[in-house]
Amino acid sequence: MIDFLLEIGFEEFPPALLKRTAEDLSAKVEKLLIDERIFYRSIRVIYTSRRFGALVLGLTRKQKPQIIEIQGPPKKLAFDSEDKPTKMLQGFMKANDLKAAQIFTKKIKKGEYACGKKEIAGANTDDILGKEIPEIIRGLEFPKTMVWTKGGIRFPRPVRWIVALLDRRPLRFTFAGIKADRYSSPNQHFSFTPMRLEKPREYLILLRHGGVIADPNERRRIILKRIKQAAAKIGGKPLYTEEMIEEINCTIEYPEVVTGEFENQYLDLPEEVLMAVLKVQGDLIWVKGSNKFICIFNGKKKAVQNVRKGYTRGMAAKLYDAYFYYKNDLKQGLQNMLAQTKKMMWLEDLGSLYDKATRINRLVEMFKTVPELGIDALKRSAMLCKADLLSQMVREKDFTFLQGIMGGHYAEACGEDKQVAAAIKEHYLPKFVGDTMPKTKEGSVLSVVDKIDNVVGAFLSGNRPSGSYDPFGVRRNGYAVVSVIDACSMNISLFEIIDNLLKLYNKDFDKNIISEFFIERFTRYLQDKKFRYDEINAVLATWKGDVTDARIRCEALKKLRGKPDFTKLVIGQKRVRNILKDIKKIGVVNGELLKEDAEKKLYKKGLETKSKIKELFQRRDYFKILNLLLAMRVDIDKFFDDVMVMCDDKILRNNRLALVHYINSLFSQYADLSQIVIEGENQQG
Amino acid sequence: MRKDNTFENIIIRLKQYWQKKGCLLFEPYNSEVGAGTFNPATFIRILDEKPWNVCYVEISKRPRDGRYAANPLRFQQFYQLQVIMKPSPSDIQRIYLESLAHLGIKFKEHEIKFVEGDWDAPTLGAWGLGWEVWLDGIEITQFTYFQQAGGIDLSVIPVEITYGLERIALVLQDVASVFDLKWNNDLTWGDVYRQNEIEFSKYNFERADPEFLISLFSKYEAEAKKVFNDGLVLPGYDYTIKCSHIFNLLEARGVISISERAKMIGRVRALANQAAELYLRKNSEKNEEESEEK
Repeated sequence: MIDFLLEIGFEEFPPALLKRTAEDLSAKVEKLLIDERIFYRSIRVIYTSRRFGALVLGLTRKQKPQIIEIQGPPKKLAFDSEDKPTKMLQGFMKANDLKAAQIFTKKIKKGEYACGKKEIAGANTDDILGKEIPEIIRGLEFPKTMVWTKGGIRFPRPVRWIVALLDRRPLRFTFAGIKADRYSSPNQHFSFTPMRLEKPREYLILLRHGGVIADPNERRRIILKRIKQAAAKIGGKPLYTEEMIEEINCTIEYPEVVTGEFENQYLDLPEEVLMAVLKVQGDLIWVKGSNKFICIFNGKKKAVQNVRKGYTRGMAAKLYDAYFYYKNDLKQGLQNMLAQTKKMMWLEDLGSLYDKATRINRLVEMFKTVPELGIDALKRSAMLCKADLLSQMVREKDFTFLQGIMGGHYAEACGEDKQVAAAIKEHYLPKFVGDTMPKTKEGSVLSVVDKIDNVVGAFLSGNRPSGSYDPFGVRRNGYAVVSVIDACSMNISLFEIIDNLLKLYNKDFDKNIISEFFIERFTRYLQDKKFRYDEINAVLATWKGDVTDARIRCEALKKLRGKPDFTKLVIGQKRVRNILKDIKKIGVVNGELLKEDAEKKLYKKGLETKSKIKELFQRRDYFKILNLLLAMRVDIDKFFDDVMVMCDDKILRNNRLALVHYINSLFSQYADLSQIVIEGENQQG
Repeated sequence: MRKDNTFENIIIRLKQYWQKKGCLLFEPYNSEVGAGTFNPATFIRILDEKPWNVCYVEISKRPRDGRYAANPLRFQQFYQLQVIMKPSPSDIQRIYLESLAHLGIKFKEHEIKFVEGDWDAPTLGAWGLGWEVWLDGIEITQFTYFQQAGGIDLSVIPVEITYGLERIALVLQDVASVFDLKWNNDLTWGDVYRQNEIEFSKYNFERADPEFLISLFSKYEAEAKKVFNDGLVLPGYDYTIKCSHIFNLLEARGVISISERAKMIGRVRALANQAAELYLRKNSEKNEEESEEK
């Protein structure tokens, strides 16, 4: 049994990429071992800010031998009457290097055959890893890379050393001009002298001496322990998230801890601001309610005094600035900021931020029928929601992400209604797929309307997305619009909002382009909700713009599509569509002209169904509606079996076509079922 | 820590250190710049493939960062020590760290952290990947591998190391405010620059005349274009730098909207890109002539 260590060393890696890259690398090494039939006992992911890799213990020196079977001639031809090998079999044995003992017979479909069985010796682990490991490194994928040396190798940061030690010997390969070797690098706070590794097993201990905890899980445990101890000393609760701990873990090699404090007056700042300052000052952890913070740093215990002093000064300067902005903003007041938005252009040729707020303010009136909605608060929040973009706080790049949140605070401080403040605060949500949704009705409506305005504005100013070009985040905005509308089940037509908005802009623009964009976004949303594309197509083919309504229709469709009747119904719909395809003029059904039983029955059934589903549509009981439509199936089939639609008598023919059309219209109120794909049938029907 | 770490001694020591590493010692540019990157010794010299190692102090003007001398760590003008090494040596990180040791910083007693910081200068059409270097939580250096400048992908990658000299001095002298930094043994940074900070903050935020600045911007831009058309890179680039500073003043004054801002940045970048292309074109012509002469 031997061990293997792979460590790629670089200048400090982007923390957000580190963990997943390290895990990806380790998974690829593991897959290689499995695919190549190399046994191993354990594999461990390693990473710090300056290295990642894998430590594999208990490998075999060679691949596991492989036993293969080779099929030879049929038994009849392989052995003679005395059961001795024939010439043919001998030839087969010679060609495949088989001995008599390795020959056996086997029954397969075609008959009984002579077969050979032999073992193929495994290749050396050394050779396989030497060949495949550099391929794995080259195959790692990153969102953003750089060049640092000639040869044009790309990596997120410059690679500076590689350890690839199998047992006691380095593998022979080079990457980015660096030869794989046995020298690792210690924590630079401890030493610059490379550390020579004799064998992989000493790695973790040796690196520990060099000030590196290479195992991320162990480092994480130490970080959490240090935070807990520091917080206990202060006597408070440390405020942190999993993501913060992971980020810290990815920026260090050896965690030490120090605590610091800031002036009490800064506790007047909104908590979000305080947290933002702590974050930009290096993921500091606030002890909630106090003026104290905990700092995990990378280095030696001896550094505690200096590190405390430095971080405390850094915090003081940043808090000074934040406080300065905050006080100035409060002095100025949201109303003044609002006045300034008149001078701040929003998008080229589309007026100022003030114009945008005015537009949103007018557009939200469409929502006044939404139950339990404070329309006055909504209108006020619409007017004020962009004012904080003129605040000093939001104009500072470290705090820009607090847009909306600051507006909410400033609104409250200026004596605005709590509802108004809450709506302003959350109207940027959701910022990404899976982000929190606005909680209040007013905030939700404001979020929707603001984002639709962003989308329409981008289209009007020639910034519509195409390919990877989407500088205004139009796609994200569009997706957020449908998800917020659906999350709070607003009964409102998206198309109507767009119509009204375009009127407010008073610009000549083909609204279908915008509708199509939203249909595409909505399709994506429904796909993410696990509806099949044909269900989505069927429902959206007759869509009038109500998001929630369409989602409920999809649900009913999904629930019923497994039933056998359903399949027949869809086939019927496809027939109907084909019959009606080229007919231009369709009249109204004349009951007097119906001759055959089947057509009379179908018409009667249609009238009945229509009156029943009318009320159900109002209640949006789509499951029941679909069931009632499904119940027409027998009469429809009978009609097509017994009645000749395209008969010679023109009057009869037109009346029958009118009937088919009438029945079809009942369905298309719900969806275009002919879009549903039936197993084993081609989509075009 | 060394006792004689006055501001001027720190500058002298760093220059000596980089001189020993093979850098040409250069001087600041003679008009206002936001960073040492604007100096032609960086922006122009990094464009071609010839080796270039240089070190100089740059007086950086950032009108938006003024605080009327009221913030101990924020000021509208500061000194950078700029180092360019092209191509970047493979042990450049260690060379940099040892320059800190040369100033008397003991790694066992501090935290030196390389914090991811992708750098880009939109007015120069330049970007690179690298870090902010933090000494005990205070940013003291920007460390960047340039990838593009003047909109051109660089074929030989230079490393840019930009020290914030005041920040380093704060740590070395163990003082909390820049105004208390010892410049030499008699005078502080505050003695030298306090009035400068107060007056420029007032000018930049309150008194600068937007109309005057906007007209200057357009005139400088027009002159730059004209000069480029005459095939003169460096005078044209000189006006590009001036445009960039005017833009910074306008921004500090708070009179440009988001979209106007993007437009002005685009205008300066167009000039910088033109300078870069012209420089490379002239240089390749020159090289061809030289090789023909041989």
